Amino acid sequence: MIYFPARFATECEDNLRIVFVMWRREMRRYLADKSQIFGGFSRTVLWLLILGFGLGATLREIEGYSYAQYILPGVMVLNVLFASLQSAFGLVKDQKLGLLRQVVVAPAPSLSVTIGKLIAGATVAVCQGAIPLLFAPFVGVQMAVADVLVAILVMFSMGIGLTGIGVIIATRLNGFESFGAISNGVIQPLYFLSGSIFPLKGIVGGIGFLDIPLGLREELRNYGIYAIGGGWVVELPSWLDAIVRVNPISYQLDLLRNAILGFYQLPQMLGLSVCLIFPLLAITCATRAIEKIRQT
Amino acid sequence: MTIICENLGRSFNGVAAVSNVSFGLEAGQSMALIGPNGAGKSTTLGMLTTVLKPDHGSAQICGFDVATQARDVRRHIGVLFQDATLDDTMTPIETLEFHAALHGIARKGLKDRISAALHWAGLESVSRSVVRGFSGGMKRRLELARSMLHRPDLLILDEPTLGLDPQGRMDLWARVSDLRSQGMAILLTTHVLSEAESCGTIGILHQGKLIALDSKDNLTKSYGTSANATLEDAFLSLTGRQLQDRGGALRPALVRARA
Repeated sequence: MIYFPARFATECEDNLRIVFVMWRREMRRYLADKSQIFGGFSRTVLWLLILGFGLGATLREIEGYSYAQYILPGVMVLNVLFASLQSAFGLVKDQKLGLLRQVVVAPAPSLSVTIGKLIAGATVAVCQGAIPLLFAPFVGVQMAVADVLVAILVMFSMGIGLTGIGVIIATRLNGFESFGAISNGVIQPLYFLSGSIFPLKGIVGGIGFLDIPLGLREELRNYGIYAIGGGWVVELPSWLDAIVRVNPISYQLDLLRNAILGFYQLPQMLGLSVCLIFPLLAITCATRAIEKIRQT
Repeated sequence: MTIICENLGRSFNGVAAVSNVSFGLEAGQSMALIGPNGAGKSTTLGMLTTVLKPDHGSAQICGFDVATQARDVRRHIGVLFQDATLDDTMTPIETLEFHAALHGIARKGLKDRISAALHWAGLESVSRSVVRGFSGGMKRRLELARSMLHRPDLLILDEPTLGLDPQGRMDLWARVSDLRSQGMAILLTTHVLSEAESCGTIGILHQGKLIALDSKDNLTKSYGTSANATLEDAFLSLTGRQLQDRGGALRPALVRARA
């Protein structure tokens, strides 16, 4: 049994309280802001159902999955991206309304404040990212509880990393008006360049693979058969492939797709490493950004 | 001494916002910093609240240096900002719990402490209502209760009565005076000279320099233009009758720092 010195234990408790109150405040805001929840649902309907079935009618199948199934993890990532950055951008509003000053002049360590903010952002991101999962039965995706848990962990890691990036950007901005520009300049590139809506390489256009019973389909996949009745092999141009591979979101999305569909295209160990390193790096850099605004 | 300021100064883009400001403040004393717009009041408070790092000179609060021991200084100060800094989605209890966590106030006895603070601020009956529906005076009282919850040695008030009606102002000053009588040092900035008069010491800042520091009586005697001169006479005789807003390079940097 390990005995911690009393002072260390008190400090740990104090820091956990800071993390908790920061988290609670953010969650209260999230629950009060119905528009964000509405946005999560409308994005899901637009991308997953309208685009998924609309474009899916043309593309038919990607590597033996319907297009709606293929983009399901991508739509989750899109919701995580929006939620994380929107949560981080709450800092700009806090700054404008003067709420941040209360935190700035308090003796609370910047690390605890940052972790509280990032965990809150990640929690909101998981809630928003889980919305497309509610639509999974409609697109024919069945998941075990363990798969859902893995998906939640991956989204949480992504949420911490992205909220951290958002905090770094938010501490350099003066107005909330910039959110539109950030949406175009950060969210969309990260989303489109993550392999969320197209495969790095794969068989597209096959007809009939989805009609095969699920168990047999799994077996055929084990033999490397992803399409029947025709189709064509597509491969990204090398420059685009390279960009997708340097985007950390690609690896996390790939882990998510593996958990949800059992399909992946990137090294899974690399994905796990990104899931561990990305949040740590984000916490470090966001803490420095918060520290900077506390004393200029 | 609760505050010791020695030659404190800070520049923005090469323009001195505050230079060579020196003063001291004991426990249980109050001091008002007055001056025209852009005189350096907010910059001085910014340095004392550890948000701005001084370029030169030093300031100690309760023996801790504002530049190098910011965390210790923050434990000893309570700040009431010019604009409301409340999250209007939270209740007064949650607001005070949030503050208590940020200041590391022990959980043991916290409930009683929060109840006492809300009682002191006259907000017990609305302790579980969200702040959104509160009047300006109620918000101010909650902010004051919050700023004293961790029992600071120094209370810093930046234009505390801005936007309050006469009743609200009177109530706020009664509470501030109560805190001073309990031994808390009070430092405030204001444009309302009658409010500054209630402080034991008045400092007049002009173009970043502390040009006068004395009691109200001595200031009016030394700088007033007639036998029954007021503080306003002394103030205008020292700072002039022209508009004093300092713009240009200084203002944007200040706005950023204050945000």
